[in-house]
Amino acid sequence: MSNNTVTQYWLGALTVVFLGLGGFFIVNSAARPATGKKIPLVDVKFLDRTASRRTYADLVKANEDLSDYDCYGCHEKGKPPPIRYDANHKIIVPKEHSDVVMGHGSHDRNNLCYNCHNEQNLLTLQVRDGREVGFDNIPQLCGSCHGPNLRDWEAGAHGRTSGYWNHSLGAADRLSCANCHNPHAPRIPTRESAPPPHSLHGPAGHTAPHETTP
Amino acid sequence: MTPTQPTLDDKTSDASMSRRNFLRGAAAFGGLTALAASLAPLRQLEDFSSSEQFLQKYYKELTPDDMTKVISRIEREVQKEYGIRPHVRDLKPMDGVEFVYCLNLTRCIGCRKCVHACVNENNQSRNPEIQYIRVLKMPHGSMDVEKGDHTYEAKSVPEKGFFYMPVQCQQCQNPPCVKVCPVNATWQEKDGITVIDYDWCIGCRYCEAACPYWARRFNFTKPEIPKERLNPNMAYLGNRPRKQGVMEKCHFCIQRTRAGKYPACLEVCPVGARKFGNILDPESEVSYIMREKRVFIQLKEEMGTSPRFFYYFDK
Repeated sequence: MSNNTVTQYWLGALTVVFLGLGGFFIVNSAARPATGKKIPLVDVKFLDRTASRRTYADLVKANEDLSDYDCYGCHEKGKPPPIRYDANHKIIVPKEHSDVVMGHGSHDRNNLCYNCHNEQNLLTLQVRDGREVGFDNIPQLCGSCHGPNLRDWEAGAHGRTSGYWNHSLGAADRLSCANCHNPHAPRIPTRESAPPPHSLHGPAGHTAPHETTP
Repeated sequence: MTPTQPTLDDKTSDASMSRRNFLRGAAAFGGLTALAASLAPLRQLEDFSSSEQFLQKYYKELTPDDMTKVISRIEREVQKEYGIRPHVRDLKPMDGVEFVYCLNLTRCIGCRKCVHACVNENNQSRNPEIQYIRVLKMPHGSMDVEKGDHTYEAKSVPEKGFFYMPVQCQQCQNPPCVKVCPVNATWQEKDGITVIDYDWCIGCRYCEAACPYWARRFNFTKPEIPKERLNPNMAYLGNRPRKQGVMEKCHFCIQRTRAGKYPACLEVCPVGARKFGNILDPESEVSYIMREKRVFIQLKEEMGTSPRFFYYFDK
């Protein structure tokens, strides 16, 4: 076999190798690294940024039905409704007000209706010092007991805010106490957590050991 | 002997038809084809799809005219890809403003709404998932992040015996990620936000390794954002769609905060645990918190990064 023939065989073999490699790259470039699983889009309920509750002031602003606040549609003027207790000295919630949960405070001593409602005029609320406040001005009422929270709220450090931090460009929208807290049961209710992060490999909630801390 | 014999000899000795030359030509052709084929995957790198983007100058060297062109290119690209005309702006830091974030650990209930509001606002990839905020579930009585679990899933939060600590970019005054970037694609602006120029980033991930808070995320594949969830209010250094192979991270919602608004994670927080504002303004809520509250930690204070993200307690 002459040198020329050997060179030719080598060149032929190299051509085949290169063509093979080329074919491999073309096929391979079409196959993108697939993540292998579908991640469902997060439920829009977790994106909701509206207040959890609507207050009297919100209803007035939205021009909505205020019949729930028309106390003297049922009650008689000048005759404070009596409060009834059961054998354990717990207030009996009348069936007309069955939506009211008596849960203000971790013990029952704070659960007296007239701590906040004005027995002389059910259309308003009253502070313990006798001041009368409207349903649309509750921070002053709540703050009469929860002083530090009122102070923080007034400074913007307590409660929800949206809108503009820069007041020269726009107004900040401050939510009021009852937008988050149910006055009859002020503790924020627990809720479902939004889905945890999905890792690139493996099921949701499972990550490699080195990924457990930030 | 036939008269044709010499002609045949002539043909076989013709240089242009020799076997050697044929094989040479075939090998050269095959080699070039293979080379072209082997470069084919490059076509999928978006960097080369737009020569305009490829030739774009460094962010800090762009004149206002250049920026107008860059923004119209981005708007065109987004419209082509998502069918939505975005509103892209290049918002500059305001004078006399330094942003600080305060997070109330007493209030946080670990509902993770901030995580998803952030993804929605900032056009992060949904598959694979990129999230700027990690919420750590931590046992009471410890500030050791090693004990934190960010993969918890609960029907009812907060769970008894735990508190929750959301961690995101801390916008350090002394950011290690900026120091390691070999191409200056990330830097700290004068309002305190550390930004990334996604068109300058080379994707080396040094910053990801340097960050002690695991705040930076890498686009391993082309980000997938459903059209119906695309946020068209965009900023150049903020939430415009990223491409494969670049870093991204929390930028305090630059497209909102530099326009005077609160960040998305703050607005969605159902318990008001997140507070944001200008620390140079003594009337701002963050200044009040720094003065009046038990501002307990800067996370990993001992790293010397001096975060602009503060965790505090109410009581």
